[in-house]
Amino acid sequence: MKHLKAVFGNDTRQFGMIFALIALIVFFQVRTNGLLLTPTNVINLFQGNSYILVLAIGMVLVIIAGHIDLSVGSVAAAVGISVAIAMRDWSLPWGLAILFGLLIGAIIGAWQGFWVAYVGIPAFIVTLAGMLIFRGLNQKIGDSDSIPVPNGYQVIGRGYLPEFGPLTGYNNLTLIIGLALIAAIVTGALRTRRNQRKIGADMAPMWTVVVRLLLICGAILAVTLLFASGRRGTSFPVSGLILGVLVLIYSFVSSRTVIGRHVYAVGGNKHAAELSGVKSKQINFLVMMNMSILAALAGMMFVARSTASGPSDGVNWELDAIAAVFIGGAAVSGGVGTVVGSIVGGLVMAVLNNGMQLLSVGADDTSIIKGLVLLLAVAFDVYNKSQGRPSLIGRLTSGRRDRPAVEQPAPADPARNISETVHTEA
Amino acid sequence: MRRITTIAVAVTAASALALAGCGRADEGAANTGSGGGSTAGSTGGGTAGFPADSLIGVSLPQKTSENWVLAENLFKTDLAGAGFKTDVQFANNGVAEQQNIVQSMVTKGAKVIVIGPIDPAQLGTQLQAAKDAGATVISYDRLLSNSPNVDYFAAYDNVKVGELQGQALLDGLKAKKPNGPYNIEIFAGAPIDGNATSFYDGAMKVLKPKIDDGTLKVVSGQTGFKQAATADWKGENAQKRMDTLLAGSYTNAQLDGVLSPNDTIARAILTSVKQAGKPIPVVTGQDSEVESVKSIVAGEQYSTINKDTRKLVKATVQMVKDLQAGKQPQVTDTSSYNNGTKVVPALLLPPMIVTKANVKEAYADDPTLSKLTNG
Repeated sequence: MKHLKAVFGNDTRQFGMIFALIALIVFFQVRTNGLLLTPTNVINLFQGNSYILVLAIGMVLVIIAGHIDLSVGSVAAAVGISVAIAMRDWSLPWGLAILFGLLIGAIIGAWQGFWVAYVGIPAFIVTLAGMLIFRGLNQKIGDSDSIPVPNGYQVIGRGYLPEFGPLTGYNNLTLIIGLALIAAIVTGALRTRRNQRKIGADMAPMWTVVVRLLLICGAILAVTLLFASGRRGTSFPVSGLILGVLVLIYSFVSSRTVIGRHVYAVGGNKHAAELSGVKSKQINFLVMMNMSILAALAGMMFVARSTASGPSDGVNWELDAIAAVFIGGAAVSGGVGTVVGSIVGGLVMAVLNNGMQLLSVGADDTSIIKGLVLLLAVAFDVYNKSQGRPSLIGRLTSGRRDRPAVEQPAPADPARNISETVHTEA
Repeated sequence: MRRITTIAVAVTAASALALAGCGRADEGAANTGSGGGSTAGSTGGGTAGFPADSLIGVSLPQKTSENWVLAENLFKTDLAGAGFKTDVQFANNGVAEQQNIVQSMVTKGAKVIVIGPIDPAQLGTQLQAAKDAGATVISYDRLLSNSPNVDYFAAYDNVKVGELQGQALLDGLKAKKPNGPYNIEIFAGAPIDGNATSFYDGAMKVLKPKIDDGTLKVVSGQTGFKQAATADWKGENAQKRMDTLLAGSYTNAQLDGVLSPNDTIARAILTSVKQAGKPIPVVTGQDSEVESVKSIVAGEQYSTINKDTRKLVKATVQMVKDLQAGKQPQVTDTSSYNNGTKVVPALLLPPMIVTKANVKEAYADDPTLSKLTNG
């Protein structure tokens, strides 16, 4: 059992959700007679949810820092309509229009960050105000009307990778990306192992590493094939690619850089962090600003997919993003959460939604089920924490962490320890 | 380092070999049959027909009024009665949900997709997917825009609805008091709903000349569409606006009539007037909602419009049946409904004005409403 756990890399908390996601996929795959995992449907699943997942990346950082952002939907809508108008009325080329949109996002973010970090107004209030302000701005700028966007621009929301090279029966570029990812993962794992050997760290048995790599690479290979084998002209979607790049960047920044660790520190215990020399105001400002920039991007991706920007864009997106983050294991009190976890949480919701639509379950029932899933996922987490156990999966696979943190630097740990210390003191 | 590279290359190569086994799916596993290819390019689609037990998708907007719930039930029973498999879904959470719903209907291989859009301009990607899969798209009640992939439009003539409302207001005022000038106020529907503009434009076609020659006087001066608009078609918003208008402009003047685009708003206006203790003005409406029909029978609301959902659903289902049989569905207008990229062939049903005078005949064959009018 210990070895089984080692195969899964010991991050049992995160693994629990991945397990739930796989279970959901299997369930719906069977119930829909195989419709769920067809290339068309998987591509749709990504195109239809990538903007929410982009929001979730920003939202998890905001929540780790101990805040919340209710304005993301409205910010996305305000930016979306501005970009649509810029392209229609000023004939701004679409590449520039995207930069223009990101700039607006940054300005809005600076505005909200200023109030939260330097004036000290709770983010809940600042972004509640932002929700109203930017929704109104969207309707004012767009005259409460829908504005179509040009074809070139639509690539970021509904585009595919180009077809090139020999006729392999697959989309070649998708294959290359998949294989490159596999190569990178294998190289990374081997390098980690070599470093461990060099510093004489306690190492997992070789076979667990191999099994683990085989599982991950097998999964990536399967997904690659699925995306590459759709109707000719389709491939891994461009919006999915944008999401993938963001996930890589933000996972790295949040777990391996000083600024990323500072976000955890501020969210875990602000005073302790400040006493250790963390500039908490700066961190809060950056986190809020980053959220609005990502919201701007998400808004633009949605507009591209919808082929038009409308007055009701972004309604309730903040709730979807927040739900994804909490299902992905973040704590309401701050200091805990991971980017990858939030993406998995978002995918759980996305698969649930898509599967139920394929089964023709009504919108009313879907909403009830999604609400219950959110509640149960968080309750499950809280229960396990109160029991001092990482998760059910952790218990099934024999209990406690018994290996040094050197091999798998679980990103959330230091901050979690701080917050738990505070918790027991209180 | 070299060893790592060697192993990485070996794994990648092995994966590449694994790929070589199978090939690209023909047209995506979801698209059963090859009928898809043949219809691509033709405007009408469906000239070849399709199996009688095919799936028909119906994507409706938010479940906000009696009419949509009625439409849901009718589509389910009528389509099932004709032997089709059906999938009727509401998109209560807005545009993004509707996009996903339409997309999954395409995935499930629906042959015809009937769409009552929330935002008609934002379904371009999904309509393209439907076209690529060979499905025919019927725009129901509201015209899908910003996409060439709309095959038919089935609706009531909404400009005509507005004209009837404007005319009813004039008739009602004249019946009350033979000579003007009359003090009126104007209400319009939700700004994002294209139909709201059609109602408003139709009504103003009739009312504008009378406002210009002084027969009608809008005391508040709020005659523009945006000033008159009611966000989300919500009664509470209309009621708040009426409260403000009464307090601001009618402390001394008498309010003779109100143009209201639908029944929910009409009842909100009546509630507001009653609470302010003013005499009841002539108020128009639309949709034949149960409460409003009662109100007309009781002599409060002046008029409503009968756009029988049963007839519209029946006409739409007939279109689906024609498509199934490979026939060209019947349309009434092939020139005036331009959605921005193409002229969509439309089947328009005539709306009917209902006042206390004809309320009995109007709902004679409506099982629910006829009970109210026979009292």
